[in-house]
Amino acid sequence: MGLGFDWERRKNDLREELETHLRIAIEERIARGESPEAARAAAMRELGNRLLVADVTRSAWGWLWMERIGQDLRYAIRRLLGSPGFTVTVLLTLALGIGANLAVFQLVYSVILADLPVPHPEELVAVHAARTPFDEGWAVSYAAYQRLRAATPEAPLLARASVGLADLEIPNRVSAKPSCDLVSDNYFSVLGVTPAAGRLFIQADDTLGQSEWPAVLRYDFARDTFGSAQQAVGQHMLLNGRAFVVIGVAKRRFLDVVIGYAPDIWLPLALQSTGVFTPPWDSLGPGHDVTLSKPWHNQPTIFWLALIARIPPERRAAVAAHWDQVFRPDRELMTEATVDPDVKAALLRATTDVVPLNHGNGGMRRRFLTPLVLLMALSASIFLVGCLNLANLQLARLNARAHELGVRMALGASGVRLLCQIVLEDVLMVVAGFALAFVMGRISSGMLIRWASNHNSPLTIDLHTSLPIAVLGVSLMLLSLLFFSILPALIFMRTGVTRAAGSRARVAGIAQTGRQRWRANLLLITQVSLSLLLSSMSFCFASTLVHWETVDVGMDREHVLLVRSDMDETRYADHRDRLPALYLRMQERLQALPGVRSAAVGMCGGIHCGWNTAIYVHGRGDLTNGQVHGQEDHVSRGFFTTTGIPFLRGRDFSSTDTDKTQTVAIISRSYAHQLFGDNDPIGQRVGYEPAPNDHKFLIVGEVADAHVNGPQLEAPPMVYMSINQNPAPVHGIRVRVIGDPRALSESVRQALHEVDPTLPIDEMVPFSMELSGDLGTEKLLARLAGIYASLTLLLVTIGFYGVMSSRTSRRKSEFGIRLALGATRRHVQMLIVSQAAWILVVGIGLGLLLSVAAIRLASHLLYGSAVRNSAAIFAASVALAITGFAAAFIPARRAAYVDPLETLRNE
Amino acid sequence: MVKTEKYQNRIELLQGTLDMLILEALRWGSMHGYGIAQGIRFKSDEVLQVETGSLYPALHRLERQGWVKSKWGVTESNQRAKFYEITKKGKEQLVAEQERWQRMVQAIGAVMGAARTAE
Repeated sequence: MGLGFDWERRKNDLREELETHLRIAIEERIARGESPEAARAAAMRELGNRLLVADVTRSAWGWLWMERIGQDLRYAIRRLLGSPGFTVTVLLTLALGIGANLAVFQLVYSVILADLPVPHPEELVAVHAARTPFDEGWAVSYAAYQRLRAATPEAPLLARASVGLADLEIPNRVSAKPSCDLVSDNYFSVLGVTPAAGRLFIQADDTLGQSEWPAVLRYDFARDTFGSAQQAVGQHMLLNGRAFVVIGVAKRRFLDVVIGYAPDIWLPLALQSTGVFTPPWDSLGPGHDVTLSKPWHNQPTIFWLALIARIPPERRAAVAAHWDQVFRPDRELMTEATVDPDVKAALLRATTDVVPLNHGNGGMRRRFLTPLVLLMALSASIFLVGCLNLANLQLARLNARAHELGVRMALGASGVRLLCQIVLEDVLMVVAGFALAFVMGRISSGMLIRWASNHNSPLTIDLHTSLPIAVLGVSLMLLSLLFFSILPALIFMRTGVTRAAGSRARVAGIAQTGRQRWRANLLLITQVSLSLLLSSMSFCFASTLVHWETVDVGMDREHVLLVRSDMDETRYADHRDRLPALYLRMQERLQALPGVRSAAVGMCGGIHCGWNTAIYVHGRGDLTNGQVHGQEDHVSRGFFTTTGIPFLRGRDFSSTDTDKTQTVAIISRSYAHQLFGDNDPIGQRVGYEPAPNDHKFLIVGEVADAHVNGPQLEAPPMVYMSINQNPAPVHGIRVRVIGDPRALSESVRQALHEVDPTLPIDEMVPFSMELSGDLGTEKLLARLAGIYASLTLLLVTIGFYGVMSSRTSRRKSEFGIRLALGATRRHVQMLIVSQAAWILVVGIGLGLLLSVAAIRLASHLLYGSAVRNSAAIFAASVALAITGFAAAFIPARRAAYVDPLETLRNE
Repeated sequence: MVKTEKYQNRIELLQGTLDMLILEALRWGSMHGYGIAQGIRFKSDEVLQVETGSLYPALHRLERQGWVKSKWGVTESNQRAKFYEITKKGKEQLVAEQERWQRMVQAIGAVMGAARTAE
């Protein structure tokens, strides 16, 4: 405190100066011959009131107002420290109320409002040329990309494809699994991203057959891995076994053009030719000259690139029309995927569409818009409840100080100065609360993102503090100050002080006016209704989450361990003939483990497999395009027993189904219905292609439908092929166990490594976790609403208790008199309880309306019928009513046990 | 009762002249507060008595304006005291104030002289 110290020093200085003056004056007088006593008296008289002189002199410094504020501050801090309970309540309420809003708004801002951190983000568009035949994505082939790019030099076009996680090895460091994207050479230059260090891609980086490939890192990844962006540049590393050198690091705030997604490493497109990085792809299907193991850049029937362009809004229509012409051959090619003339015609009719990336309707934004708006509303409610509670607390506190303040006013303290003092106390608290809230907001927005990120797709979002967030924070701070301090103080100054100053202060306290009571009741009613809103929302979200976590998916959730393994590596993929024997050894070894009931392997790793396919039925030319589409998996014998999918007819794959015998398939109920209607599918022949190649597989079994794509998605029509007859690298090994699957994970890992010591095991998760992996939004809503609901319930309890008990203590003598006049204790108790009751009834009534409206708004985020949700509201109302009554009951009891004799003695 | 008589002989300082008097008193060297008051009293033949309640606020005001500066020193009688010293800026200010004062005296003189002739 440099200023305070200086101030004290100057004050001492002045005192000493005046003392010196006095001493010199006395000395001179003595020197002139006066007696010491007379000299002293005369000098003192001459000097006058030393303190007054000092005061007046200090005012010449011009700092008097600061001295006064300093006094007020010290006084305020003393008062706050004197009532720690109140201070802590206020600080926590503010920290939670403002913090929750800041945290949620940070998400709203980063996900929905923020611009992409590139120059002119409004010019960027996603180019949707045509939907791919099976996955119905917006991907195009490399050849199409090259032609489109060359056709419109004035509208630069870039391409990207995610390749997921890669194995990173850096000399002398632990290995990691960063996520990687393949991007075209003009990716950074067109976006306008600048490097934080080194350089970004140029045309020369995208050439085939490099011995050491260039890589660009994301800023945070570079810093976490190499210490800093500068240190990362020039580092050598291995990704999926290939050599790379880091040529640069993108600027700090650039994550990617897709909100919520942030690859750690960007790599050139040409890298695909090495075959060790495989993006998701679609094609015309089997029989269309597709060889996935060969480089994709000269295969026009593999669709794998997403396109982004930079076009000013006014030129979009012209550019899109031009692209349509250039894309025509690709459209014609795509029609070969189907035999359905309607689908062919629709494909040719479709036109190229451009969709703005900035504030666009991106997947992330679409997914989070309603949940976030809802959360924002809930956060605002909790802030409001908190403020109302503080206002009530503050009024009660001021009432308790009424006498002191009244006396001070009577002694001549100005109203403004008193108001300033009251408000200053609160400013201190609000500022401290805001600081806490800010810290809390930062921590919790990170936490919210972890909650919202589901197991299967983590979110990475730029969470830098920006102006809108600061503005929101400061306005909430001012708003809370208004609610919590200025308004209560003003109300109080108008009504409370003058009466309290009178000699009958105690009596004045009793006679709380109707208006004051009404005001307190109104605050309570608002709190009750908001609290009901939050509680019923929380019940609804919780029951939705529970629903998705427990709903029947047609498979055994609880007893299956899923081992994710990535066998795409060449030593497996290039020796497919050896795979069936390997799978058999794994299965046998696993089934020999104690506690294991069965084990099986499958081409799909988990719920995000979605290998879409088309199946044509032998001798049935009349099937539509929609009928032949389904989903495919290659599985081993025992897969259905292991996953718990029941057999309806026919048989499982058997050891006699080999590459020498008839290729067989097992079909799911809905696919069977789609293809054969009510006829028995067993014995039917199907194929990947229309006639004459439509009889490759013999259907030997039919199984029930299962939600293999996750609990929230429909159970797809499925066809299962034998992995023995169609050897493919597996991504998931499933083990059905007795009891908790987690308990067996170590022995399963050991068993697998005994069979194949080099088997790459990415992860071992209980299947239930894999299934709930997509429930990010649901988890976020359920958890946050749960926290909010319990907080408001607590606040309402505090509010009720506070108001009721201060009311009871004010009416103590009234109750005493009532009791003395013959009222029963029960009667007195009922006086208080009935007051609480009508507040609760009105509050709950309003809350019901609010809840119904909110549930309607959020209906697509909730699972279940209106009845189920009304049960939630009912449960919330009951919980709230019980809490309210409990909070009112203690003061009521106290009122009922007032001693009438004591009251009469006091009167 | 010499003292009372003396007191009656004093005249109130004109508004705004105290600063000028202090600066003038400091023109010949640094001086402590008591010394400045005594100096003004002595030079004015005991007519101008500067109240401590005006002197110190004025000194601190002048210091804040940068016309004087202060430092602790020791008096002839070996007392520790705060000495004030006129600054360059203060000297300029003094010149300005003196001119203003001269004009005022002349103006008032002219008015009063005219009044006397008219009698």
